[in-house]
Amino acid sequence: MKPWAFFIALLFANALPSGAAEPVQFGRDVLPILSDNCLSCHGPDESTRKAGLRLDVREEATRPNKDGISAIVPNRPEASELLGRIVSKDPEEVMPTPKSHKPPLKPNQVELLRRWIAEGAPWGRHWAFEPPRKSALPFEGQNPIDAYVREALSKEGLATSPQAEKHTLLRRVSFDLTGLPPTSQELNAFLSDFAPNAWERAVQRLLASPHFGERMAFWWLDVARYADTDGFQSDSTRSNWPWRDWVTDSFNANTPFDKFTIEQFAGDLLPNPTPEQKIATCFHRNHMANGEGGRDPEESRVDYVIDRVNTTGTALLGLTLGCTQCHNHKFDPITQAEYYSLTAFFNSIAETGAAGSAAAPFYEIRSVHAGAALLSANATVSEWKQSEAEARLSARKPFEEGLPALVEGLDSHFQEWRPIVASALTSTEGTVLLQKSDHSIQATGSNPRQDEYKVLASTLLKRITGLKLEVLPYSGNTKGGLSRGASGEFILTDLKVQVRQSGKAEVRDIAVKTAIADFSADKKANGGYGDIKDTLDDDPRNGWTTKGAPQDVIHTAVFSFAEPLMLESDEEIVVELRQRSTLGDTNIGRFRLFATDQAGETIRSLKPGTLQTLAASGIRSASGLPELLRKQLFEHYLEDHAPYLKVKALLARANEQAVEAKAATGPLKVMVLEEQKEPRDTFVLVRGVWDKHGDKVQPGVPLSIAPWPEQEPRNRLGLAHWIVSRKNPLTARVVVNQLWQLLFGNGLVRTPEDFGLQGERPSHHELLDWLAVEFMESGWDTKHILTLIANSETYRQSSAVSAELLSRDPTNRLLARGSRFRLPSWMLRDAALQASGLLNTSTGGPPTRPYQPAGVWEELFMGRFKYEPSLGSAQYRRTLYTFWRRSIAPTFLFDTAQRRVCEVRSNRTNTPLQALTLLNDETSREASRVLGVRAVMAGADADLRLNWLSEAILGRPLKSDETPLLQRSLKSALAHYKDHPADALKVLQAGQSVLPNAPQQPEVAAYALVASLLFNLDEAMTHE
Amino acid sequence: MNDSLEISRRYFLGKCTGVSVGSIAMAAMAREGAFGNEPSPNLGFSGLGLGNLPHFPARAKSVIFLTQSGGPSQIELFDEKPDLRKWAGTELPDSIRKGQRLTTMTAKQKQLIKPAATQFHRSKSGSTVGEWLPYTAAVADELCFIKSMHTDEINHAPAMTKMLTGNQIPGRPSIGSWVSYGLGSTNKNLPDYLVLISKMQRPSDQPLYDHYWGSGFLPSRYQGVKLRNAREPVLYLRDPDGMPRALRREMLDSLASINAQRLKDTGDPEIATRIQQYEMAFRMQSSVPDLTDLSDEPAEIFELYGPDSRRPGSYAANCILARRLVERGVRFVQLFHPDWDHHSRLTSWCTARCRDTDQASAALVTDLKRRGLLDDTLVVWGGEFGRGVAGQGQWDSPEAGRDHHPRCFTMWMAGGGVKAGFSYGKTDDFSYNVAENPVHVRDLHATIMHLMGVDHERFTYRLQGLDFRLTGVEQAGVVKDILA
Repeated sequence: MKPWAFFIALLFANALPSGAAEPVQFGRDVLPILSDNCLSCHGPDESTRKAGLRLDVREEATRPNKDGISAIVPNRPEASELLGRIVSKDPEEVMPTPKSHKPPLKPNQVELLRRWIAEGAPWGRHWAFEPPRKSALPFEGQNPIDAYVREALSKEGLATSPQAEKHTLLRRVSFDLTGLPPTSQELNAFLSDFAPNAWERAVQRLLASPHFGERMAFWWLDVARYADTDGFQSDSTRSNWPWRDWVTDSFNANTPFDKFTIEQFAGDLLPNPTPEQKIATCFHRNHMANGEGGRDPEESRVDYVIDRVNTTGTALLGLTLGCTQCHNHKFDPITQAEYYSLTAFFNSIAETGAAGSAAAPFYEIRSVHAGAALLSANATVSEWKQSEAEARLSARKPFEEGLPALVEGLDSHFQEWRPIVASALTSTEGTVLLQKSDHSIQATGSNPRQDEYKVLASTLLKRITGLKLEVLPYSGNTKGGLSRGASGEFILTDLKVQVRQSGKAEVRDIAVKTAIADFSADKKANGGYGDIKDTLDDDPRNGWTTKGAPQDVIHTAVFSFAEPLMLESDEEIVVELRQRSTLGDTNIGRFRLFATDQAGETIRSLKPGTLQTLAASGIRSASGLPELLRKQLFEHYLEDHAPYLKVKALLARANEQAVEAKAATGPLKVMVLEEQKEPRDTFVLVRGVWDKHGDKVQPGVPLSIAPWPEQEPRNRLGLAHWIVSRKNPLTARVVVNQLWQLLFGNGLVRTPEDFGLQGERPSHHELLDWLAVEFMESGWDTKHILTLIANSETYRQSSAVSAELLSRDPTNRLLARGSRFRLPSWMLRDAALQASGLLNTSTGGPPTRPYQPAGVWEELFMGRFKYEPSLGSAQYRRTLYTFWRRSIAPTFLFDTAQRRVCEVRSNRTNTPLQALTLLNDETSREASRVLGVRAVMAGADADLRLNWLSEAILGRPLKSDETPLLQRSLKSALAHYKDHPADALKVLQAGQSVLPNAPQQPEVAAYALVASLLFNLDEAMTHE
Repeated sequence: MNDSLEISRRYFLGKCTGVSVGSIAMAAMAREGAFGNEPSPNLGFSGLGLGNLPHFPARAKSVIFLTQSGGPSQIELFDEKPDLRKWAGTELPDSIRKGQRLTTMTAKQKQLIKPAATQFHRSKSGSTVGEWLPYTAAVADELCFIKSMHTDEINHAPAMTKMLTGNQIPGRPSIGSWVSYGLGSTNKNLPDYLVLISKMQRPSDQPLYDHYWGSGFLPSRYQGVKLRNAREPVLYLRDPDGMPRALRREMLDSLASINAQRLKDTGDPEIATRIQQYEMAFRMQSSVPDLTDLSDEPAEIFELYGPDSRRPGSYAANCILARRLVERGVRFVQLFHPDWDHHSRLTSWCTARCRDTDQASAALVTDLKRRGLLDDTLVVWGGEFGRGVAGQGQWDSPEAGRDHHPRCFTMWMAGGGVKAGFSYGKTDDFSYNVAENPVHVRDLHATIMHLMGVDHERFTYRLQGLDFRLTGVEQAGVVKDILA
């Protein structure tokens, strides 16, 4: 007897006789312990297996080694090496080895293993690989969900909680099934419906709503990593959104889930596929696509194939197949070869790995929803056209009023360009700059290869709209040309403008919008140098030169600022001429700078502006103006008239939006699956590296999960049939678990992505199996399962929790209460739109752009992509339709799936950034403002208005202890906005929706604040 | 992880009126193993970190990672190879190249040697720095150069993802998130992990994806918070126009009171957390602007960091901000300066990025030292890979640049427990392969963690049954020779 054998005997001398407890079950009790502690070294993966010992297979675990020792000797715990090792005190002997940093097994785990061996070490399979079956219901005559949940609770001495209040229930189920809160009509109808089946009818109504499909689609888009762009560097836009609409339609039509799956995997391989069935296969093209320069497209293509397999694993099989990319699975019985056999199904798509417009195969389709979007976009254009005309009209009056003074004030000496008089001239590399009496600035002293010239000036102008640069020929320059460099040519690589205030630390950058010149050299012929526009990009590899034009004439460039620059009296302007070309020796020899305060032609062209023309005309009275000049003067006035410019910019945006909407009505290229003629060979990839081929493999599936359906072809269609086969133990369980998660916030298995050995076990195993079988038996009827869940008493429990129950079951695994969790951020936006009446309920169509803080895309892509929020009714569409740029998810969403890879787990955190978003996002501000107006219109009484707001946002009247708190906030807000009408006006300007003239602005602003307060209540954002 | 569980635990450990919950609950959760993975209570950003960290006394309390995105050329900037001039224009020997993969940009061209375009400055301690970085050269005796860095990735996004998360595939927590998760912060009013990106005029070819500072599978509150160089440094930070601070305060008071009543009615501890997060949000509304307002910095600071430091959003201004963050106890500050991807015209393009960053990087080290902060602040400078010795394009033309090169590159560190005036590792005569003391990205991670008092092998997060760590499953070790 080994020394430890005695120790074991001693250890368990006082243990209960094994017969006293329920027999140990391998799958439930033993395998999790082995998996957590042993299998990473003694499991299915040969490459990391230690001491040749494998513990997940009975024959191996019980086979004696060369020394005659067996890890497990059935019925004889004291002879089993396994037990000896886990209780050993010898650091060389003990398992898990200290090197693994795993803690030693707990005494109850050791005891379980001992009992199991004593009971003969009966083997079994991991629960999720056994087919689900319906067990006998513990109670008859009730919803099976309740029967199982109550049975589990009774074992714990617990019972279900009472039903939640009616308004809470309707709110809960409306969010769960449509993603929207109930409207007040829906709520009132339900509250006054006392029929015994009122609830069931409400559930039915919601499942029949077109919003049901939208809600389900949001879930499925996260699963499918759907986005409107490729991701990565180029992040090109796709037009795959018809697939999104197909998903919505499928859920609304309650397409059986097996059919839904088959079409997404292999719609193209079905006999005589319909366009919809072809579009469905976009599911497997929603992965990211990498168009980075220098990348081998084949590497990308291999990535996509792998992504499809991993997505299949996570979404439908609940398996972390990705682990098997580099090695045999450490815990689950899937080999690396099986993994690559799965990739073989996706390896012969007629794709090259290219991204963007080269990401064929495509299927061209027109969207039935695009027409409505175009109509709405055109309506928005009409509205803004009218606004533009009105703004033009209202500008007439101030124009006419100011015209006489303007015309009379001009004299023949008027100069729209004023020369800049430098207060200081510096350079980086040593050029000495001197300003002459004609304001020209001369480069003298040393002539470095490159330099920056800096001109500081406090100008006479209070406002600057643009600059003019003259490069002057000079006899002291080479050949009397434009620079002191060998060629006499100059290269200006960049121009920068800053403003500095005396005594202030910071300088501000002034954005220059356009640049034009009298001559720009041919870029291609001059090593990238030529174009004046390139002086604005801060890139020394390009810039402006006039090479090729005569050197003995003045060359002129005009730069316009993005916005007029208003200068304080103590502010200085700094103009920096950067001359950092690759070869150098092309610094400007002599130049002159001018500034102007004129908008329009002056800064857009090299021609004289309107006022200059007027000054030259000699006309000195408004009445003497010819019609044409008068018109020009009005246009000139508009160029600088802020209220008009604002409307004009919005009209321009509306027009752009209409162009986009028009394009969406044309044929759209949707990325789809399609086999190429010659199938590619598929190989195991050594260590998962894309070009390191191992053994060749054939299409196949992990047989330990389910057998291949014999009559099926070895292609994607066969694979899809295998996935939804009745013999597949995983798919139905995995899907009903996700459906459960939609309504309870957590699945019955709390690792929805992992049903394998390392995943969590189901909290209600029999219930999960019952639902899975029911799902399959009902013909994969999604609405049926959701109806069952929603109609259960379990679902309808109150979510309030006593301290005792909370301590007993903090995470509500036992379901002795309803689920209480923060709603997904997309539902919060939709709820704000719904509550305020702003929601546009139309379904389908091209993506839209909700409000987002300015500059977010621009920052990420350094200006390559611009985000312009949608105008008009498109702004108020549901969040499902939000344009999803893969590299930067919509900023107003938090805890959202990133849509880079398949995600099935809901992520819920609670951070200050979320608080800031909900307080300050423009959608919620606009919704609050609109509700403020509506509250004021609802009646004259303050309490009535507050109650009205509560009904709109929370779906219930205020409680007596809440009213005084809201009254207090209302009172402070009213006092403030009455004293500060300008602040009230600002509150009213949130968002773009036009409101009828509200006379009581301070009131509206104050009620808007209360509305915002209510939106930010925990209750408002919570599934209660 | 199971967030609801974690939240209830936070609640128990936090102070909350209205509901009293006994220690039984704590015990119950401990039984469930709820404490196995999760940090001790972390209310918003005032993270306390994990109870068992640091594993040993830390040398560095904070890290400033000066990320030079695009791959700076070690050949021009640090890794002096005088013999290259001899071999200029000749083909790179196969014995050196060893079939190394190239990007498709240069795979089809001959690999002709392009010698460094720079002369080198040699510091007292013998460190070499190219002439394009004169300020860095002047502080070289404070720096620790690792000349034998290497990585496995040849394209930007995977290489940067690996540099910052340990894995080339997006989705793992970034090093800053790991640190924030494990060690928390000492500042109650600011996030633990802040990201600052230089404001550039030129559209960059390599976007800086937010997964570079993402929290991966760690709870999202550990993700880096990007300080934008805009009127609103943190998205949604500013209250809307027409909402004065006093009124916001009043509104939040009512909000908290009603929420507290809801907490009483429902017993849901999540509400207690929510109340605190709204308060934290309110505090951030003053702490962040206070941080980003540089008007209290004296003129000499701007002179030290260079004229560009007066321009908000510039790399230089961000370096000043980094120092202010470290002064405020922030754990991990990450700067990004894009556009180091110099495939062409090295002499004009690379020098432009050097001018953007050189003076301020050096000034940061000097400034930290003057203030006594350098001892426990680790400064790290580097990109995702280096550049190849072969010219891209006609090797001797001014148009030529260099392609990506993962097999060797240089990074430098300063302060925080590393040797000053020290160079570690060597490359071969072509700056192509590591010749001596290779340091993989994983080793760098292990070393940074070590300096922060963390054993990278023991610092894990359990997910899908696996114990994930920053350094992954492959061999990684602390570079002991560079520790002071």
